[in-house]
Amino acid sequence: MEPLVNTEKVAEFRSSRVNLTLVKNRLFQFVVFIWFSVFALLIIYPIIWLALSGLKSNSDFFLNTWSLPKEWLWSNYKAAWDAGIGKFFLNSVLVTLVSVMAVLLLGSMAAFGLSRFHFKGQNLVLVLILSGLMLAPQVSLIPLFKLLQGLGLYNTYWALILPYVAFQLPFAIFLMRSYFLSIPRELEESAIIDGCNSWKVYWHIIIPMGKPIIASCALLAGMNVWNEFMFALVFVEDSALRTIPVGLMNLRSQLNTNFGIQLAGLAISALPMIIAYILFQKQFVRGLSAGSVKG
Amino acid sequence: MKTKLVLTFMLVFALLLAGCSSSSSTKEDESGKVVLKFLHKWPQPEYAPYFEEVVKDFEKQNPNIKIKMEAIADEPIKDKLRVILGGNEVPDIMFSWSGEFARKFVRANAALDLTPYLNEDTAWKNSFIPASLQPFTSDGKNYGIPLRFNGKFFVYNKKIFEKYNLQEPATWDEFLQTLDTLKKGGETPLILGNQDPWAAIHYLTGLNQKEVSQDVRMKDYNPGSGEFTDPGYVKAMELLADLNKKGYFMKNVNSSSHDMAKQLFFAGKGAIMYVELEEFADMDKNMKGNWGFFPMPSIADGKGNQNFITGAPDGFIVSSKTKHPKEAIQFLKFLTSKENSLKLVKEIGWPSPIDGATNPDTALKEVAEGVEAMKKAEGMAEWLDTDVHAKVADVYLSNIQLLLDGSKTPEQIIKEVQKVAKQVQSEVE
Amino acid sequence: MRFACPFLEGEDMTRTFRNSRTALLFILPALLLILMFVFLPIVLNLYNSLFRWNSFEVGRAFVGLEYYGRLFKDPIFFTALKNNSLYAVISLLFQVGGGLVIAAILEDKLIRRFQPFFRTVFFIPSVVSIAVVGLLWQLLYNPEVGLVNGAMKAIGQSEWARSWLGDSEVAIYAVVAVSQWQYTGYMAMLFILAMQKIPYEYYEASMIDGASKIKTFLFITLPQIKEMILVGTVITVIGAFKVFDEVYIMTNGGPGRSTEVLGTMLYRAAFRNDEMGYASTIGTVIFVITLTLSLVQLKLGKSGQEV
Repeated sequence: MEPLVNTEKVAEFRSSRVNLTLVKNRLFQFVVFIWFSVFALLIIYPIIWLALSGLKSNSDFFLNTWSLPKEWLWSNYKAAWDAGIGKFFLNSVLVTLVSVMAVLLLGSMAAFGLSRFHFKGQNLVLVLILSGLMLAPQVSLIPLFKLLQGLGLYNTYWALILPYVAFQLPFAIFLMRSYFLSIPRELEESAIIDGCNSWKVYWHIIIPMGKPIIASCALLAGMNVWNEFMFALVFVEDSALRTIPVGLMNLRSQLNTNFGIQLAGLAISALPMIIAYILFQKQFVRGLSAGSVKG
Repeated sequence: MKTKLVLTFMLVFALLLAGCSSSSSTKEDESGKVVLKFLHKWPQPEYAPYFEEVVKDFEKQNPNIKIKMEAIADEPIKDKLRVILGGNEVPDIMFSWSGEFARKFVRANAALDLTPYLNEDTAWKNSFIPASLQPFTSDGKNYGIPLRFNGKFFVYNKKIFEKYNLQEPATWDEFLQTLDTLKKGGETPLILGNQDPWAAIHYLTGLNQKEVSQDVRMKDYNPGSGEFTDPGYVKAMELLADLNKKGYFMKNVNSSSHDMAKQLFFAGKGAIMYVELEEFADMDKNMKGNWGFFPMPSIADGKGNQNFITGAPDGFIVSSKTKHPKEAIQFLKFLTSKENSLKLVKEIGWPSPIDGATNPDTALKEVAEGVEAMKKAEGMAEWLDTDVHAKVADVYLSNIQLLLDGSKTPEQIIKEVQKVAKQVQSEVE
Repeated sequence: MRFACPFLEGEDMTRTFRNSRTALLFILPALLLILMFVFLPIVLNLYNSLFRWNSFEVGRAFVGLEYYGRLFKDPIFFTALKNNSLYAVISLLFQVGGGLVIAAILEDKLIRRFQPFFRTVFFIPSVVSIAVVGLLWQLLYNPEVGLVNGAMKAIGQSEWARSWLGDSEVAIYAVVAVSQWQYTGYMAMLFILAMQKIPYEYYEASMIDGASKIKTFLFITLPQIKEMILVGTVITVIGAFKVFDEVYIMTNGGPGRSTEVLGTMLYRAAFRNDEMGYASTIGTVIFVITLTLSLVQLKLGKSGQEV
């Protein structure tokens, strides 16, 4: 089973067993290292394979699956971009930006209201908002689709943005509220004495103080919106409005697929998120850690 | 102060709203032009340019009309079309398969009756091969205009056939012998990519037609009277299952898609494959003359007409809600004009339903021959998955994979088909 | 969408403002959006399930609870339930169980200096869109060109090679495996973060007692992060009943209906078979299942906090 079984934690101060401990530690390190490297390889290799296969021609892809491209067809990436990925990419950027901005604005306002005020029915509102976290989006799929059609929003950017914002808000509010609660109140109190009203406190104290959590919320909401598939599949039909995940599916023809181009498209759409994650790891991690456990 | 902040927020939000709506598509007439929304199913870079060009030409000739073109790929459009038809902005002209797929929209009064327009312009009507208009009719009225005339044929690798001294089989028994010879020689006789199960359903389309008499089959394919009790349905499925049992199909048919399987055929890893006429151009590009084709062989004791060919036209229906039926027809006429049909054949190698457009000068020799074969055929067996009610099709589609991986028998599947057909019957009334 | 879930906090807050009208102004926009796009659909869904209707015809016919009766007789429904449950069980085992073990090892001081590298790499799949992951794995599983069978042959186990997504016996496991590939690192990350909050003195004490690594893990680490484990369990289980994307993309419920889950069953009923009412019925059932699971979680969460 797990390599943990192979070793035994031995207290350092028992000098008679230091040598044995050393050997065991080395063995433990070695086994774990092999195990984790294999796992890491299982993750990295397919992604590299994806990017490389995106440079192959169809026959090269089928006949020499494992080898490097015979001819490095950078044109595949360009072809994928021109075949729609470019447009889908921009759509994704637009939908994600607007949704995230709305989530941050509305979410921070609500979180402020829920963390700094006391009013009747507050707990009910809180429970209502937070229970939005649990609901499966499938349940809303058909009614939302009819609703959007009824509102005349079906097949517009709004058909994606509004549901995205609504479904991302509960988690954002939850994260921001717990963070705002931990912001010391002394500052505000003195501000109030200075004559600030609640809007000013929100804008000049809470928002600047809450920046770290707002950044984390932006990243998490952005990631969810960027990757969302089901709503994007059902709520828009024009290719001019399609986001990347659905656009990728559409690129795949039934009778005749150029796999090189398809894989290039996949690589193009996977990359921004991987890069964003590696660059902003700290904020990602903070969001996760704040959201997962209390405090 | 307070109000100012509120205002700022509202402004920011309003800007956001405005920023978005201005970039979303506008559907209203601009500068008094008639705007037609046109939906087809070929977004792939290979085909989309053809439609873009035709639309551009049309707009040049008709400056008062603007075409707003949309494309949704093959699989998704099967779901999307229904959704779109229920929406507020139904395209004026939209793609449809023929047969039940189109008739379902006719029943829901979503498709415009095109008969008067065709009768008004007999030259246009007569330019079509009659067999290509027929599948788009319901109760004697025309509801669709075909763009392509698609048929299904077996293509084979000539070198492999020569190696074993094989001829194109004309009967099912000869076909089986051919496959057996290939198998014994260590070849993969049949290439099939059935990840998307329409591929095997196309086999069954022809087999059903050949095994079941025409009247019975037409009655069963009609959602209002479908029973599927004829033993021919089981027999048809058994023929398909036998091909699999005898090991004539390649391995793992359910996990390769049709396009992947085709790559195997191109690489010479199999002898025969069942493909559509529209794929012939691709075939020739990759096989470079090393290929031939034959229709599904006849079955000696089959009750259906053995001179049918599997295939169907596909094309366009016009929405009953359109505000501009005249302009829509005008565009369809342009799309199916001789000139554009020749272009269709030449540029993307598709078989055209316009009589004479697909000839050896414009098209690949094989495509022209294929269209000729379809013209000579006594009828068409339309795709089973678009020719029966969606729910019946769904039973066929999902079970055909289980037939091929051996977990269900033909009898079991037909029983399910019968059950669902009964249910459909009660709902369609 | 994945997120950790909340425990309602009951902290005593110093209340800065008491004007409830201003509070509502702050909260209302968000609340309205949530009510309109998250809660209203649930009610509508229930109503929709009582009718026979489809997306392109105008009329609808009242059928009462007929669809509910049909659903509970539909063998596909039980296939879907079974698959969703399988998803839940396997994900618990790999994502929660495996994630815990990985986290514990990465937190071990012998390994810790490699932690940043490994945890970054393990986390990467979870930021990639499921559409990309699904289409990628569809190719990887392909018996002709896929790397999976190739890898099996390379390690000398060619009899393990098979038609992964095309075999109705194994397809669901193949699909579930992709989710494990994608999310085990995510869970491990959550656990690492929780473990880092355990005060170091706890470990020192156990070291002095001479406890083994396994014992330390069982008796110090686990109890200290049990809240996180609970959260992880709940995300995983509820997530397993929300599955749609990966199945829709990789198999669309096939071969046959062997990989159908509730989500794809709903989609198929609604948009392929023109049975919106039946689809709404399935939606209601998904709602009831996830609601029940959430309530159980809230209950467990509360009792967990009290202890």
